[in-house]
Amino acid sequence: MGNDLFEYGLNFNRRRFLSKASLGLGSLALGSLLVPGLFGGNKNQDDNFVPGIPHFAPKAKRVIYLFQNGAPSQLELFDYKPKLREMVGQELPASIRGGQRLTGMTANQDSFPLAGSFVDFKQYGESRAWISDLFPYTSKIVDDICIVKSMYTEAINHDPALTFLQTGAQQGNRPSMGSWLSYGLGSENKDLPAFTVLLSRGIGNGQGVYTKLWSNGFLDSIHQGVQFSSGENPVLFIKDPKGMDRDTRRKMLDNVSSLNQLAYQEFGDPEITTKIQQYEMAYRMQTSVPEVMDVSKEPDDIIKLYGPDCLVPGTFAANTLLARKLSENGVRFVQLYHQGWDQHGDLPYEITKQAKDVDQASAALVTDLKQRGLLDETLVIWGGEFGRTNYSQGTLTKDNYGRDHHPRSFSIWMAGGGVKPGIVYGETDEFGYNVIKDPVHVHDFHATVLYQLGLDHERLVFKHLGRRYRLTDVDGKVVKDILA
Amino acid sequence: MKEHLRSYAGNFLFALNIFIIFLLLFESKLEIPVWLHPFGRMHLLLLHFPIVLLLISMILEIFGTRISFNKQPFYEEFTSIVLLVGVISAGITVIMGLFLSRQGDYGRNVLSWHKWFGVSIFFLGSVMYTIRSSDKYKTVMVKVGGSITIVCLLLTGHFGAALTHGDGFIWNSVMDDRAEVVPIEHALVFDHLIKPILDSKCTGCHNPDKLKGKLVLTDSASIHKGGKSGKLFVSGNPEISLLMNRIHVEPESKKHMPPSGNTQLTPDEKELLRLWIKANTQFNQTIVSLPPTDSLRLLATAYLNTSETLEDPFEFSSADEETVKSLNTNYRVVSPLAKNSPALSVSVYNKETYTSQTLNELMDVKNQIVSLELSKMPVTDNDLQNVAKFENLRRLNLNFTNITGDGLATLASLKHLTRLSLSGTKVNYPDLKQTLVDFENLNTISLWKTEVTADEINQLQTEYKNIQFLVGLKDDGSNPIKLNTPKLKHKSVVFDDSIQLQLFHPVKGVEIRFTTDGGEPDSTASIFNGTTILKESTTIKARAHKSGWLSSDAVTLHVYRSYYKPDSIMLLSKLNRVHPANGAQTFFDHQLGTFNANSPAWANNWAGFLKNDMELLLEYKTPKEISSIAMNTLIETETSIFPPATIEIWGGPSIDKIQLITRMNPEYPKDYRKPFIELIECKVPKRKVSYLKIIARPLRKLPSWHKNKNNPALLLVDEVLIN
Repeated sequence: MGNDLFEYGLNFNRRRFLSKASLGLGSLALGSLLVPGLFGGNKNQDDNFVPGIPHFAPKAKRVIYLFQNGAPSQLELFDYKPKLREMVGQELPASIRGGQRLTGMTANQDSFPLAGSFVDFKQYGESRAWISDLFPYTSKIVDDICIVKSMYTEAINHDPALTFLQTGAQQGNRPSMGSWLSYGLGSENKDLPAFTVLLSRGIGNGQGVYTKLWSNGFLDSIHQGVQFSSGENPVLFIKDPKGMDRDTRRKMLDNVSSLNQLAYQEFGDPEITTKIQQYEMAYRMQTSVPEVMDVSKEPDDIIKLYGPDCLVPGTFAANTLLARKLSENGVRFVQLYHQGWDQHGDLPYEITKQAKDVDQASAALVTDLKQRGLLDETLVIWGGEFGRTNYSQGTLTKDNYGRDHHPRSFSIWMAGGGVKPGIVYGETDEFGYNVIKDPVHVHDFHATVLYQLGLDHERLVFKHLGRRYRLTDVDGKVVKDILA
Repeated sequence: MKEHLRSYAGNFLFALNIFIIFLLLFESKLEIPVWLHPFGRMHLLLLHFPIVLLLISMILEIFGTRISFNKQPFYEEFTSIVLLVGVISAGITVIMGLFLSRQGDYGRNVLSWHKWFGVSIFFLGSVMYTIRSSDKYKTVMVKVGGSITIVCLLLTGHFGAALTHGDGFIWNSVMDDRAEVVPIEHALVFDHLIKPILDSKCTGCHNPDKLKGKLVLTDSASIHKGGKSGKLFVSGNPEISLLMNRIHVEPESKKHMPPSGNTQLTPDEKELLRLWIKANTQFNQTIVSLPPTDSLRLLATAYLNTSETLEDPFEFSSADEETVKSLNTNYRVVSPLAKNSPALSVSVYNKETYTSQTLNELMDVKNQIVSLELSKMPVTDNDLQNVAKFENLRRLNLNFTNITGDGLATLASLKHLTRLSLSGTKVNYPDLKQTLVDFENLNTISLWKTEVTADEINQLQTEYKNIQFLVGLKDDGSNPIKLNTPKLKHKSVVFDDSIQLQLFHPVKGVEIRFTTDGGEPDSTASIFNGTTILKESTTIKARAHKSGWLSSDAVTLHVYRSYYKPDSIMLLSKLNRVHPANGAQTFFDHQLGTFNANSPAWANNWAGFLKNDMELLLEYKTPKEISSIAMNTLIETETSIFPPATIEIWGGPSIDKIQLITRMNPEYPKDYRKPFIELIECKVPKRKVSYLKIIARPLRKLPSWHKNKNNPALLLVDEVLIN
C-alpha cells in the first residue's frame, strides 16, 4: 500500500514534470518563431552583403589619407599645452603617467622632464582652434577641417601601431583599410585600381613602410593597394616590353584570357577570374596611368597652390597633387605615406623641416578639392600612428629635446566627406598626456570612416578560416558628433 | 473557480514565465512580424488591467495577514484569484510591451527603466502566487513583496507615461507655454534662438521680479542695458563681452553663470550666444538673411532642425537589375547608391571613349540616376538635353567639360538638383544670372576657373542667398610663393674627365643664375644656358628666378672629378655589418650616399668601418701620374660617425715596392654638430704609380665630450676620387 502511495506520488510528479516541461518547451518554441535564424546559424549573414554596394547612401565617395608616418608630435602641431612650458624641466607626475608602459628607448631613463613646445601657437578660424606656427597654411583652412585631439591607440611601436591603423590589427595579416573600401564600394573607374599608394620621405628620422600595409589580406587580390612611384615608371611592370606593340599585347591578353577561362572552368578558383580582370585593367592602365600622372599640364596657379615642389617627383607635394588627380579620376582610396616624423631627438630642427614639407600641400589639397566642388564627397584624413610624449627623451636643453612614442593621445584632422568642418573634437589634460573628453579609439575612427562611405562596420564582414572578420575587429563605434 | 480552470491558468502562468525569459534573453535578435504589430500596440490598452488588479490583490494580500481576514475562506479564495488574473494580465502586457519596444524608436534610458520595472512586477507577482499556498509564506515576505510590487507599479507607470507623453508631461503646460515651432524661413535669430536659451537658463533669476545683479534678461531693452557689473556685451566682440566672460569663467568661481548646481549651457548654446554677439547682437534679424555659409546660420539651422531626416527618400521604383548590369562598361560605372535603394549613381571616365551615346544609352534608367560624374569628358550643350531627362538627378559634376551657358538653361528642368559643379567651364555671369532662378533646389555650385569674376559672384550671392558659391582661388599675384631650388640633372655627380653642367628646375620658364667660383649667385652671376663645361671638382651655387614668384634660396651643389679609375680594386679589410654597400666597387661606382645612414634603411652606398681600418689596394695596368686622393665621408656626431683619425697613402711601381707617400690627420669635430658630408683630400707631389694603397684608420676612442666616449667611432666612405 505504502508502495502504491509512493508510486502515486512519483506518477504525479512525473506527470507534473512532463506537463510543465511541455509547457516550457512550447513557450520556447513559440518564442523562437520571433527570432529569425536562431537555429539555422548565421548562414545568411554573409549573403547579406553584396561587395561593391554600400549598406546605406554614402556621404563620401572617396578617401585621401595623408599618413604622417613616424608619428608627428601633437604637442608641436595641434595640442596647445602652455602648462608644459610653465613646468619645463619638472618631472612628469606619476599620477598623470598612470603606469603607462614605455618603449625600450625611454623606459630606463632616470627622469622624465616635461618639455614645452619650442614653437608658439595661435588661434584661427571660427572655431578658434589652436594651430602651431609650424603650420601657416593649415591655419588658413581651419574652418574646413575637423581636428580630433583625442585619438588613442594600443601599440607603442611604429610597426604595430601603423599596422593597427591601417588594418585594424597589430599583427599584419589583415586587409588594409583601402582594401576593405575597395571590397565594400567597388571601383568607380575601371581604368584605375580602387586603392593606390604613394610614398614620400622627409628629412626627419624615418621609419619604414612595408607592402603589408596595403595588402588585401584574405580579400580577393583585386583589392590590393597598387603603389605608384615617382619617375618614369609610375607603376612597375605596366609598360610593354621593347618590341611589343599594342596589338600584339591585345592578342596575347586575349589568348591568355581564354586559357585562364579554361582553367577556371576546370578548377573554379575565383582567383583565376581575378587574374583575368587584373590583366585587363593593366592593359587599360597603360593609357590611363600616364595621363593621370602627367602634371605638366597643371596651370601655374595650381603649382603655386601646392608649392613648386609638387613638380619634383617623389615629394609629398607631388604626391598630394597626384592624390587629387587620382581621386578626381575615381580612385576610392588614395593612401599617402610621408616618412620622417619620428623625432626622438633634435625635434625642433627636424619637425620644422617635416612641417614645411607637408603644410602647404596638405592645405592645398583641401582648397583644391573644394574649388572643384569635390570636397563634400572626398574625405581627407591627416595624421600619424600615435602621438609623442610630453617629456623629453634624452637630455632636455633650452632649445633642443626629443619626444618618445605616446599611444594615449594624438591629434589628427579630417576634412570633407560629410565631416563637420571647423570644429575641434576631444580634449587632453593640461599635460597633453591623457584624453579627458570624447576619446576616439582607432576602431572608432575606422567605424566612422566606413560609416561616411555608407558602410556599417559591423556588417562589412568577410568569412575567412571559419571566422567573420571586420576592419574594426569586435569593437568600434561611429563618432556621430563629428559628422555633419 | 473550478479547480481545473485554475490549474490551467497556473500552467499558463508558468508558460508565460518561460516565454518572457526567452524573449528577454534574445531581445536584441527579435524581429516582430508586421501582423503582430497590433498585438504589441495593444500594450497601451491592456496595461491598465494589471495595474488595478495587482494593486487590489497586493492590498488584499497585505491585509490578509490579519488574523480576522485570514480565517475567511472567501477572502482567501478571492485574493488568490485576483492575484492570478493580475499576474497573467501583467505577463501578457509585458509580452506586448516587449513587442512594442522593438517597433518604435523610444528613448533608450527611460525605456529600459520601464521595461525592467515592468518585468520585475510580473516576476514578483508570479513568485508570490506560486509560494503563497506553501507554509513558508511569512507575513514579512507578504508585506515586503507586496510593497515592492506596489512601488514598482507606480514607477513603471511613471516611466511608461514618460515614454508616451515625454518627460515632464504633467508640468509642461504649467511651466512652459511658448513651445511653438517656427519654420526656419521665418525664424528670428533673437526670438527663436537666443531668447529661448535665456528663458530656460537665465531668466529664473534675472527677471523683473527677482532682479539678481540688477540684471533683467526678459526683453531686448533690458538686455541692452545690462546690470550691476555693466553692459552685457560689446557687439561684434564676443571675446571681451561680459556675457561670454561669465559663461566661460571657471565653474568654481562665484561669477560663473549659470551658477554651479543649476542647469548649465550646452556647448551649442554657448556657441550660439558667441556667434550672435559676433554678428553684432541684432534683435530683428532673420536666420535666412545670413549668408548660407555663415557659422551662425549653419548652427542655427542645425539647432532648429534637430529632427530633420537625413536620408533623402526616393519616390521612384528601382531599375531592372539586368539592365543596370548591362549598362556597366569599362568606362562607365552604373551602381546602386546603396543596398535596397532604387537610386543609381553613374560615373564616366576616359575622354577617348566618350561619345554622346554614352549618355543616350542611359535612358532605360533615366528615372533612377541621382548622381552623375562627367568631369573632364568632352560633354557638349547638346548632350545636356539627355542629362535633363534624368529627372531625379541630385548631383551633377560637369567640371572641365565643353558646356556653355546655353546648356545650363536645359538643366533648369532638373527639380531635384542640389549640387552642380561647373569649375573650368565656359559659363559666365549673364548665363548664371538668367538661369539660376529656375534651379529650385540648388544649394551648392562650384564656379572656379570660369569667366565669372569675384564681383559678379558677390552679386549672385546677394541675389541667391540659398546657394553656396564655391569659387576657389584666383592667383592675383598678391601672395607670391618662393621657388624651390634648382637641381643637377646628371645621373651621377662624379665624372671622369669633364662634364657639361646641367642645372634643372621643375617650374617652366625660370631663369637660373649660377657661379662656379664660390661667389654668391646674385644678379651679376651668369645665366645658365647649358653650355658650361666643368673639368675639375666644382662647387656650384645657383638660384632660380621667375616673375610672379619669389626667387629661390641659393643652393650649393657639387660635382666631383675622379679621373683614374683603377683596373682592379681590392678591399683588404672587413666592412661593418650594417654598411656593406657594394663591397670594394662602392668606392668607384659613382654613387653617393645620403644622410641618416645609421639606419639600415638608408645605409645604401656607404661603406663602413667600425673596429678595423679601411685598407684599399688599387691596381693600374699602366702607371698613372697622381696628384690627389680624396675620400667622401659622412660625419654625424650624434650617432658616432666620425672622420678617420689618420689617412695613409702608399704607392709604388709594383706591389712589393709600395712605400708611404703621405699621411694626414683630418680634423674631427670638437662638439656635437649637425650631420654633414665632407670630401677629405690628400694632395701629394705628382708621381707615377701602378699600385696605390689607401689606409684610413677610424677613431679608436671617441673624444671625452661624447656620450659614447672611449668607444670606437664609425667611418663611412661612399666614394674615393683619384686625380
